Amino acid sequence: MLVVHQRNMQTDNLPDLDYRRLLAASRKLSAASPKPALKLALLSDAATQQFVPLLKAILDRNGFSAEIYEGAFDAVELEAYNPSSRFYAFGPDVVVILNATQALRASFAKRNGSAASFTDGFLEKTQSIWNAIQSHCNATIIQSNFALPLEKYFGNYDLKAADSFYSAVHALNTGLTQKARGQNGVLLLDIEGVASYIGRKHFFDDRFWDMWKTFCSFDALPYVAQNLVDILMAMRGRVVKCMVLDLDNTLWGGVIGDDGLEGIKLSAHGEGEAWHRFQCFLKELKQRGILLAVCSKNDEQNALLPFQSHPEMVLKKEDITIFVANWNDKAENIRAIQQALNIGFDSMVFVDDNPFERNMVRELVPGIIVPELPDDPSEYVRFLCELNLFETTSFSSEDLQRAEMYKQEASRRAVAASYASVEEFLQSLDMRIVVSRFDSFHLPRIAQLIQRSNQFNLTTRRRSEAECERLMHDPDMFPLYVKLSDKLGDHGLISVVILKPDNECLEITDWLMSCRVLSRGVEQYVMNEVFAIAAKNGLKHVAGTYIPTAKNGMVRDFFRSFGFLQTADTPEATRWILAVDSYVPRNTYIKSCEPEAEAVA
Amino acid sequence: MIMNNLIEKLTDIFREVFDDDSIVLRNELTADDVENWDSLTHINLIVAIEKEFKIRFTTGEVSGLKNVGDLISLVSRKISA
Repeated sequence: MLVVHQRNMQTDNLPDLDYRRLLAASRKLSAASPKPALKLALLSDAATQQFVPLLKAILDRNGFSAEIYEGAFDAVELEAYNPSSRFYAFGPDVVVILNATQALRASFAKRNGSAASFTDGFLEKTQSIWNAIQSHCNATIIQSNFALPLEKYFGNYDLKAADSFYSAVHALNTGLTQKARGQNGVLLLDIEGVASYIGRKHFFDDRFWDMWKTFCSFDALPYVAQNLVDILMAMRGRVVKCMVLDLDNTLWGGVIGDDGLEGIKLSAHGEGEAWHRFQCFLKELKQRGILLAVCSKNDEQNALLPFQSHPEMVLKKEDITIFVANWNDKAENIRAIQQALNIGFDSMVFVDDNPFERNMVRELVPGIIVPELPDDPSEYVRFLCELNLFETTSFSSEDLQRAEMYKQEASRRAVAASYASVEEFLQSLDMRIVVSRFDSFHLPRIAQLIQRSNQFNLTTRRRSEAECERLMHDPDMFPLYVKLSDKLGDHGLISVVILKPDNECLEITDWLMSCRVLSRGVEQYVMNEVFAIAAKNGLKHVAGTYIPTAKNGMVRDFFRSFGFLQTADTPEATRWILAVDSYVPRNTYIKSCEPEAEAVA
Repeated sequence: MIMNNLIEKLTDIFREVFDDDSIVLRNELTADDVENWDSLTHINLIVAIEKEFKIRFTTGEVSGLKNVGDLISLVSRKISA
């Protein structure tokens, strides 16, 4: 219980980012941390010794430890272009390239030619560093952008003068953004965002650059570290998937049951604008793939009234994936929402103006994020943004369709209820499946699913997009994705299975699946495919590992259920094997979508 | 600020930064005498002192420090200014 509390203390309130306190916390970290470790290489043209302890302390707060390789000062290219450098020998999961505005200023001063040719040259250099790193290792690259400089040589006219340093940095940031959009496996660390949040006047401290090559003030440094950790945590699967919303005094001012439709405060201008803005914010989140659920103590009829009839409501009934309005306690209702959506509590955020409800949910629903909302609804959006809850490392078309998919799922459930047997229902769904080798079109979604899946995940290996791309090109491997659709709609890409032939054995190195499609026979269908691939390639056995985590208990007996025999059992993992001859193919009600399925074996 | 009070606060900062509760400040103390007093911890020392006393050192002042005595007189000058 204590652990849960500590976690909530940080995610619900703004984290403590005091340099001295973080440093003290960092000193107390033991070398051999039992927490899952991340191998991170830091390459920079600034000094990073002061940055690293902060990073470690903030990672520790978030339940992670890090093994950090610090590249030599200002040796980014030397490390990147040398395949036998210590940097590659370290084997990083993540490479952070931290470029300082101060270092850029020095090279800008030495430019020959226009600012445009300077920025072009810098962008080309940066991209070729990315390419070099990606050709020598599988790490995800996190590239910083630049804090805009304080100095202006033309005053406000600096922006019109394309040759000013200020304009050049602007252009570089835009260029980096475009290049990163076009390259898989490269994420951006928005240092300019941090600098403008803090205020550049306070972000820069040239004394520390002059004395120690520190790229920002020591008040700002923890904010940069926190932002980086937010990205790393998202890479490791910490993403918010659902906002659970109270109604009265949260989505509108007043109590619908008492004040009535005309009495509640909600309007684009005036007294109700705070709630209107908050609804616009939630609508944007919904459009970016975060599910919205309502959990309100109300009569359902009253609760629905504004959604149906209030002219200023931004959120409509169809924006809400699950609508729960009753007089049960909220913890119970949230558990029901969680089960219906099949997502982890730690990917849910509970938003309620009432401190009593917040505390109760915090106590009774371990893991859920419960922001300690400010009293003033005008501050809701700012506060939630400062928590940076919605960090992600990918965005795909599936995100846009997610809400729709959950809706379809709800109607499937309704349909299921009307059938006499599960088999009959499954048959009626007319399910179509595609099992295919990774292809570049699907890589972003594959990488995303690998990051997001926690429950149905046998080994929880968080492979980066770059790593997936490499697997895609490896002719010895079978990296497979699975897509499913049925007569009620398209589920999209819902499973990833990676197979590696090893002597006479086909090793299942990764198997994960979205919990949206449990109990339809997908895993049975895919297992049949796995054994078909083994047989076709003359392999005698199929083997696999289950690595337990806090969340994947549901697949503990996955291999056993297919008749695999256990060959090893340690707290870290169980090992399983089954002869190809002994496998009994499973019955399913899924048909393959032909051409792509052919391409598998 | 009374000198004793200043030294007491500085002692706390030294003990925090060098993670050593046995440090006792005296004027002749230098980086050579304190374990872990390297360029990295020196930064942390300077940053902590600036925060604690709400003062700002110039680069010249930081690089001109020879021993703890210099530091004490610099800080006391800054806070009484």
